[in-house]
Amino acid sequence: MTVAADPPAYKWVGTRPIRHDGYEKVIGKARFAADLDLPGQLHAAYLRSPHGHARIVSIDTTTAAGMPGVKAVVTGADFPDLDPTDPNFDVSVNVMARGTVLYNGHALAAVAATTRAEAAAAAAAIQVEYELLPVVLTLDESMADGAPLVNEHNVTKFVESDGPSNLATVNVLERGDVDAAFATADLVVEREFDTAHVHQGYIEPHACVVDVGPNGKADVWASSQGHFMVRSLTAATLGWEPSRIKVTPAEIGGGFGGKTTIYLEPVAARLSEMSGRPVKLVMTREEVLRATGPAPASKSRVKIAASDDGDLTAIECWFGYSVGCTNDFAGLVGAMSVASYKFPNLKLEAVGVLTNTPKTAAYRAPSAPQAAFAIESVIDELAQALDMDPIGLRLRNAVAEGDPTAMGMPHPRIGFIECLEALRDSDHYRSPVPDGAARGVGTGFWFNIGEQSSATVNLNEDGTATVITGSPDIGGSRASMALMAAEELGIDVYRITPMVADTESVGFTDVTEGSRATFSTGMAVVNACRDLIEELRARAATILGVEQDAVTWVDGAAVADGQDPLPLSAIAARAKSTGGPLTVTASLNAAGAGPSFAVHCCDLTVDEETGQVAILRYTAVQDAGTAIHPSYVEGQLQGGTVQGIGWALNEEYVFDDDGSLENASFLDYRIPVASDLPMIDTIIVEVPNPAHPYGVRGVGETGIVPPLATIANAVARATSTRMTSLPMSPPKILAALDTP
Amino acid sequence: MPRVHLMSDHRRFTDGEAVVESEGATVGAVIADLEQRYPGLGEALTHGASAGVNGEIHAEPQYLEVDTDTDIYFVAPLTGG
Repeated sequence: MTVAADPPAYKWVGTRPIRHDGYEKVIGKARFAADLDLPGQLHAAYLRSPHGHARIVSIDTTTAAGMPGVKAVVTGADFPDLDPTDPNFDVSVNVMARGTVLYNGHALAAVAATTRAEAAAAAAAIQVEYELLPVVLTLDESMADGAPLVNEHNVTKFVESDGPSNLATVNVLERGDVDAAFATADLVVEREFDTAHVHQGYIEPHACVVDVGPNGKADVWASSQGHFMVRSLTAATLGWEPSRIKVTPAEIGGGFGGKTTIYLEPVAARLSEMSGRPVKLVMTREEVLRATGPAPASKSRVKIAASDDGDLTAIECWFGYSVGCTNDFAGLVGAMSVASYKFPNLKLEAVGVLTNTPKTAAYRAPSAPQAAFAIESVIDELAQALDMDPIGLRLRNAVAEGDPTAMGMPHPRIGFIECLEALRDSDHYRSPVPDGAARGVGTGFWFNIGEQSSATVNLNEDGTATVITGSPDIGGSRASMALMAAEELGIDVYRITPMVADTESVGFTDVTEGSRATFSTGMAVVNACRDLIEELRARAATILGVEQDAVTWVDGAAVADGQDPLPLSAIAARAKSTGGPLTVTASLNAAGAGPSFAVHCCDLTVDEETGQVAILRYTAVQDAGTAIHPSYVEGQLQGGTVQGIGWALNEEYVFDDDGSLENASFLDYRIPVASDLPMIDTIIVEVPNPAHPYGVRGVGETGIVPPLATIANAVARATSTRMTSLPMSPPKILAALDTP
Repeated sequence: MPRVHLMSDHRRFTDGEAVVESEGATVGAVIADLEQRYPGLGEALTHGASAGVNGEIHAEPQYLEVDTDTDIYFVAPLTGG
């Protein structure tokens, strides 16, 4: 279902064609990184730390190097030591430990051999002498007075710092006078919350194949959210110039933010360079869970003041994120969650704290779900205390265009109020709550980002077009690019072939993060198509014998007064005689990514004997600006929701005292499956982003923000017990119900 | 003159002032002017902040043109998933 006030009349944008890459994926022909095999290829395996924190006294690879099938062995000594101030330092250290292992599972050596079994056996034969160091696993341990240093290279960002610290980042935002506002408030609710580390749970493990040729150039095939990112980070880790590396993007089997960095490629490259053979490196599921980025665990305190008539007058909050063993976490983003309401008085502190746990990575809207869980839970409690409808309270305080964001800058045109109204008016919200069930609502915000993108459009001699971009197709972006190109050029969407090209065949394109692909790369496609139309008008003018200004472009044809329309295919057929091939390229550094809001509603039951939550009905409302391909917008909303449900109810990293992950499989780390859930209903709100030619706002991240609080709010209403610790697993719910 | 809105930690350079006026036709020029008047602030803004200008956040804003009515909001660098 789509809600748009006054939808423009597009021919292709907003339709639902079968995706261009669907055939290959359905028949199994699409090639993911692990599907590629090269002649003479070796297989690699890691040695990973069995300790949560230890100094590497010595590594002896002699035995391993002489074992059957072994062709190359690497350790940290085979990689350059970057300066700790280098922006790629943390990635480099995480790829291969240097001197110290920082978490249980940290890679400290790798072996390439004829078979994977031989590589694994040799890796296990590497002899390491460790000096054990204190292991710091939780945020409280890390922040305690006299706490051992997690990472001797860490210096706190964004504040004055005088040496190594366990604090990664500190961000403070303030406006107004919170103390005065709380002192005079009619009602104040204050709560503390915590959440666990959770993983992005992509189905495809990290994988790559790297072939370093005799000329020293590396061909890399990898699954990622951005192959130019893979090129730059791999080059930095190896100490190479990026131009030594060509990265070809494999299909990606899920990323959700977790594939915005690298783990494998420099290791495979060095092994290939040393052995003179291609090297394939594929993580097991256990490795994915032990050694790739989970989302941070968190603790938070939130205090909100309100007047008796429901005006939110002040918020004071502290968010702490356990960011793992290194410091490349942008801690301010959690602060964005307070952007949804017009708090005249605000004080917010967000800190990142290091722990001897895996280096964390983005997970859709990084750090926002944890913050929204806390804030939206307190908002719900205020609504209950004030006896107000929870949507009504939010509508009364919701931000609109011109209202300040958390950092003070005014919001551009946004659709939060429209989303709240869409849920309020929905069949779900207007229906009675089922007997025995309870209903919760929650909201979420994500700012979205633009960054650099490139696109090339080649018009073929038969009048078809090839649209080439550098953004991996993570959520249906090929189809979206084709739809925007079809709309611009005025030809059938199936006469357009969208493709994702390697790093030597298309202009630089930033990693897909911040829900940017359809926004930014789509804008590059639109710009390229508009340049192509200018060229087509010029060619048509030549053919028709008129001035270019006399030619307009209408529905896929050049039109001049007194002449028959000249279709695109006719101009393409005469390319040679009118000036040569019709090829255009556009690149940009996009600004104006439109913020996105979401509002969710859930009906659920709680079994008070087992503590199990059963979700009966769920509706996700989100502002997409304009939905280029509504099916894939709905898919993003549904996917984010389901991942948020898992975060709320089941998922958590369980470490032992030495930081060993005790549930490193999908049997023990339980993500929701289809039989756990009802169909996730969606309502797409369309408040066009004025900064995009079709009004696009990114949709990939916001959907994971509301579910944590949405479910907690429903559980609170079902049980009269406010759950403040995630996941709300059956044992935790039973314990909470048993607490007087 | 462009108005510069500072994050809390950056206010240590300005005796607690949250908003300061500056001179410059680009964000880079504004930062250079601030460094002259508040030693250390320019360096902090160059390496530890993005800039929100006219409702948009820019990661590398130094050549972004501003005029006398522009509000510049310096914020911590942003990322996404």
